[in-house]
Amino acid sequence: MNTRLFKLAGVAVVAASLALTGCGSRTEPAASGSAGGATKVAKIGVIAPLSGDLSALGLGIRNSVDLAIRQANESGAIPGWKLELAAEDDEAKPDTGKNAATKLASDDAVVGVVGTLNSSVAQSVIPVLDSAKIVQVSPANTNPTLTKGADFLTAPKRPNANYFRTCTTDAVQGPFAAQYLLGEGVKKVATIHDKKSYGQGLVSEFSKAFTAGGGTIVAAETINPDDKNFSAVISKVQGGAPEAVYYGGEYPQAGPLSKQMKAAGLKVPVMGGDGIFSGEFIKLGGTDGDLATSVGAPVDTLESAKPFLEGYKAAGFAEGYEAYGAYSYDAANAIINALKVSLKDAADAKSAREATITAMASVSFDGATGKVAFDEFGDSVSRVLTVYAVTNGAWAAKKTGELK
Amino acid sequence: MLDLFFQQLINGLSLGALYALIAVGYTVVYGIVQLINFAHGEIFMVGAFGAFATWMLLGQPTDWGVSASLLILLPLMLLGGIVVSVTVALLTERFAYRPLRNAPRLAPLITAIGVSVFLQEFVRLFYGRIPGFPDAKSAIPFPSVAGISGEIVRIGSVTIQMPALFTIVALAISTLFLWFFVNRSKTGRAMVATSQDPDTARLMGINVDKVIVAAFAVGAGLAAIAGVAHGLNYGNIDFRMGFLAGLKAFTAAVLGGIGNINGAVVGGLVLGVVEAMATTFIPGQFGSSAWKDVWAFALLILVLVFRPQGLLGAKVVDRA
Amino acid sequence: MRVIISDETKVRFRYPARAVGIVGAVLMIVSIFLPWSYGSGALDDVGFYGAPSPLQFAFVVLPVLILLLLAIPLVGKQRLGQWAKTVAWNTSAKTASLATLATVLIGLAAIAIELKGLVNIDVGGFTALVGALLAAVATPFLPDSPEPTLARVKSPTWLQILGIVLMMAGVLFAAAFALNQTDAGAFLTFVAFLVGVVLVLRQLGVMAWIGIAGANNNRVLVLAAFATAFAFPFTQNGSDANMSIASQVLIFAAAALGLNIVVGLVGLLDLGYIAFLGAGAFTAAILSESAFSTLDFHPPFIVVVLISGTVASLLGLLIGAPTLRVSGDYLAIVTLAFGEIFRITMNNLDGNDGPNLTNGSNGIPGIPDLEFLGFNFGDAHVIFGVDIGRFANYYWLMLLVIALIIVVFMNLNYSRIGRGWVAIREDELAAEAMGVNTFALKLLAFAGGAFLAGVAGAVKAHHDVSVTPDQYVFLESAFLLAAVVLGGMGTVVGVLIGATILKLLPEKLRFFSDYRLLLFGLLMVVMMQFRPEGIVADERRQMEFHDEDEELAEEIEEELISHHAHLNPERRGFDL
Repeated sequence: MNTRLFKLAGVAVVAASLALTGCGSRTEPAASGSAGGATKVAKIGVIAPLSGDLSALGLGIRNSVDLAIRQANESGAIPGWKLELAAEDDEAKPDTGKNAATKLASDDAVVGVVGTLNSSVAQSVIPVLDSAKIVQVSPANTNPTLTKGADFLTAPKRPNANYFRTCTTDAVQGPFAAQYLLGEGVKKVATIHDKKSYGQGLVSEFSKAFTAGGGTIVAAETINPDDKNFSAVISKVQGGAPEAVYYGGEYPQAGPLSKQMKAAGLKVPVMGGDGIFSGEFIKLGGTDGDLATSVGAPVDTLESAKPFLEGYKAAGFAEGYEAYGAYSYDAANAIINALKVSLKDAADAKSAREATITAMASVSFDGATGKVAFDEFGDSVSRVLTVYAVTNGAWAAKKTGELK
Repeated sequence: MLDLFFQQLINGLSLGALYALIAVGYTVVYGIVQLINFAHGEIFMVGAFGAFATWMLLGQPTDWGVSASLLILLPLMLLGGIVVSVTVALLTERFAYRPLRNAPRLAPLITAIGVSVFLQEFVRLFYGRIPGFPDAKSAIPFPSVAGISGEIVRIGSVTIQMPALFTIVALAISTLFLWFFVNRSKTGRAMVATSQDPDTARLMGINVDKVIVAAFAVGAGLAAIAGVAHGLNYGNIDFRMGFLAGLKAFTAAVLGGIGNINGAVVGGLVLGVVEAMATTFIPGQFGSSAWKDVWAFALLILVLVFRPQGLLGAKVVDRA
Repeated sequence: MRVIISDETKVRFRYPARAVGIVGAVLMIVSIFLPWSYGSGALDDVGFYGAPSPLQFAFVVLPVLILLLLAIPLVGKQRLGQWAKTVAWNTSAKTASLATLATVLIGLAAIAIELKGLVNIDVGGFTALVGALLAAVATPFLPDSPEPTLARVKSPTWLQILGIVLMMAGVLFAAAFALNQTDAGAFLTFVAFLVGVVLVLRQLGVMAWIGIAGANNNRVLVLAAFATAFAFPFTQNGSDANMSIASQVLIFAAAALGLNIVVGLVGLLDLGYIAFLGAGAFTAAILSESAFSTLDFHPPFIVVVLISGTVASLLGLLIGAPTLRVSGDYLAIVTLAFGEIFRITMNNLDGNDGPNLTNGSNGIPGIPDLEFLGFNFGDAHVIFGVDIGRFANYYWLMLLVIALIIVVFMNLNYSRIGRGWVAIREDELAAEAMGVNTFALKLLAFAGGAFLAGVAGAVKAHHDVSVTPDQYVFLESAFLLAAVVLGGMGTVVGVLIGATILKLLPEKLRFFSDYRLLLFGLLMVVMMQFRPEGIVADERRQMEFHDEDEELAEEIEEELISHHAHLNPERRGFDL
């Protein structure tokens, strides 16, 4: 009796819903395609820290890529195709970065990725994108093993064919700084680095070039990236009476280091790579006379940087482009240039992935940071660098040149 | 070599004075409620941000003379830091710890971790939302105080920075104040009584709630002074500065004997000196400054194994 | 806060309340055939007439439940017979109505936020809202039903097994459906719906019934659970995106289960637990065939797993032996310091500040995929016509590891050792006086938990391809602890749920990722205040946290009695 009741009720409900469902069907609303024929969509992904304490840099990367994509769509750079941005957050963590890469790889429209900020995240992201044959261009990774493998000094071997970068490696910046200091008559330098791959690489390349040029390294010290108090290190360095301190690392430590050095009576310039070339460095304690190298000629003197600088201002992004904006803009444009070749005859985005990687090798144009092209390892061929000095509380270009 | 020794001794003492100021907070609270206030490092951080906020509210004065800075600006910044620290400490005590006073011991400790993460994130996310304030997502440059910032004193070849001297003097004054507070004031003596036997203290008419509040407030006040000292010494403050400093200060408290106020001071100074000396006098690769935290924590473990009551003896050693 | 409606009012209004409730339910059922939003960008595209989206189809389950719960009793008490008392008709309808209202509100909020403005809610949305409000306002006026006795209904074994299988199928379907929601609003709405369904099922007594069915057919339950987990990759249609998250959840859960032994069973707070996972990962990375490996010794993976586990447990002994004597709070901080020592040491062993073992902060990248008997874990392959990708392979491997861990955990928990652990947790002095070797048992827990984490770390190294020191920071230890605390200390299911929540939610709810840690901190504080025993409470532990709550004690006692009466039906003493 009771069971029959349940059955009846159940059948009634199911029948009612089925009947009602039959009334309509899910059809897409009228196609909203523009410009006559169907425009196909290809996506350029971004993997960068969009939240957390590195988010300022990450958002700058995302916005710059967004700008490059908007400009390409406006100018109709790739006929028949519309580019879209697919930005994913990696929280500066390898685990999250890998999830982001997997997500982008499973989206058939994604043809290229700009990212990551951190070399440690790149190590997890590259293999995922490589197995999906998606080209990846990093605006910020400086770890030489990413392009040249474990034995990058003795037997360079490219581990992943899909990986390129627009920033230079430590092998270019370190020696350039050494040559500059030697040219200024500095013979005794102390080095300090933060043990991260970036800082360590810079210092080791710097030291090699500096001693080869006749200089002496009077002290070689390391600090922890989360240190705040450098007094012990400064006291040790001070004993060697250096004429300059070369610091491998980033501005959050370099600024206070410079300040504490001078407070402790060690009044010599701090020099570093593009990791300290930021207004934040000066805010946190960088003083007049401190030096930094950065890739390319000064942005404001380059004709080819204008579209980026003006476009970024016009686009009205809430965040600044920060240290890696110009590199990211160039990275996105490198991918777009490769897509011009690979998407031309492609039926869909996924089938063009492999051709995009091949096309990257022959990309060559003038970007926001100068000439953009890649060597056989995927590294940027740009060897033009500029030395900047803090002058009256702001960075000013001192010397632009090419590393021989 | 001897010069380097004295230089590192000074470096170590100033670092140690900072640890000691924070360590007192751990020790006082632990002595009374047997709670490791894991969030105390964050109270220190909040104090530094409070002092910075005071400076902002004063209209970001940068050109006050030496006497105005020392007599007006610095005391006001210290006061601002202390007010903020004490307020936050009392709020956490009231809303996070007090309801758990009779709960199993795991509960308040986990709560303390939660409070610690919450305070860090709160400062990171919302400090910059105050109109005109800088974003706290990365380090903020700490204002310089004329007469202290950047000034140095030379004794022979040893350089003493004024901010370091400030920290050491602040510790000396605070210790003196603590001694008077604990031994001469009514509240201080109630604190001692409660830490020795809370039940008897209650029977003697001591308001234990009030005593606990006083313990949190005293610890927070000293932590705020340490926060200002940190800003003056290192030139900038950031939302994460409390984690490692708190951990080191706890190590210092254990080193001196937790629950023992003089022990916290001695422990802090010893820890600071050990850290500075380790980077100079341990030969070879392990003498690098990158290992100094490892030596500090290794010291903590060694003390717990061989002298769990600490250098000066703890009130409580083993409480499961 | 709780509005109390007097029994008299309830009796007076019972007929109109029921009628209004039915109207509300019907309105909601009708609403899914109406468009909820104007644009197509909200939820999973809910802007159609007569064609509900998958989410709307799922949602309609709740209103249909309300309708059935309200309408069926209309046939009268006589015809319902024993079922009148077996099922808590009215109370369940009330729960269902409130859950439905919550779901509708979240769904509409999501529409309003995603399409920027309340104006984007279309007629269907409003119909649903009105229906949900009607039901939610009306059903509290129904008289309370007595406690449901569904759990005590005698049911044949086949029906119990069928129930278990159906529940597992439901879990599988729900998990697959939830994970495939790419839209954060849709995901949240569905989660709200799921919570609602679980609450209603609990109110109905279905959960208790399943619990007893599970206890009676323990093997079936365990097998069904694993079969479900095993089947999960087949629902993903070859996509790796969710499998990557799922395999990470399992690795995280494995480490959390190891921590659960230490914290949940023995009551030792370990704040540096991530170091053991890291020790396993670094060991496996160094012994792997990676070009960056610093040792020239590459044994097969089975051996590597054992070495990794052993290294981790040796570290556990190293840190445990000196500090376990000064128990309590010291241990927490010492383990925290130890976690920092581990991270800094891994950072320093780079050939510069120490011997080169880990390449310092670069870590060891390029770790190759696992290979078993010629089967490469990196290769995708096809099973039953479904593509199974790289992460699915690791997912299955981790499933095996977790199964192993659970077996060990359960056996330990109910063994002499487990009872010793609990005794230590409750009162160490008393335990020692009773002859429990507390020091040895604590060391065993420390080393055993670390071993499990080390094994998970070994798989993680290959799964992640690269191992770097900055993956093993304090915050990760805090997350592991939170998984244990949130889920329920000392329970297996709870920790699995906790680990899933902590790993899955940030991935699915990217929009609040900046507030993730803030909420995490708040959650820990609130949890300790209001439900320290976690989502799934261990019965012993629940008593511990609420030792003044007499009612709860009685309730648990009663539950245990009825539970045992069912387990041992031959003992007729408690047949109620």
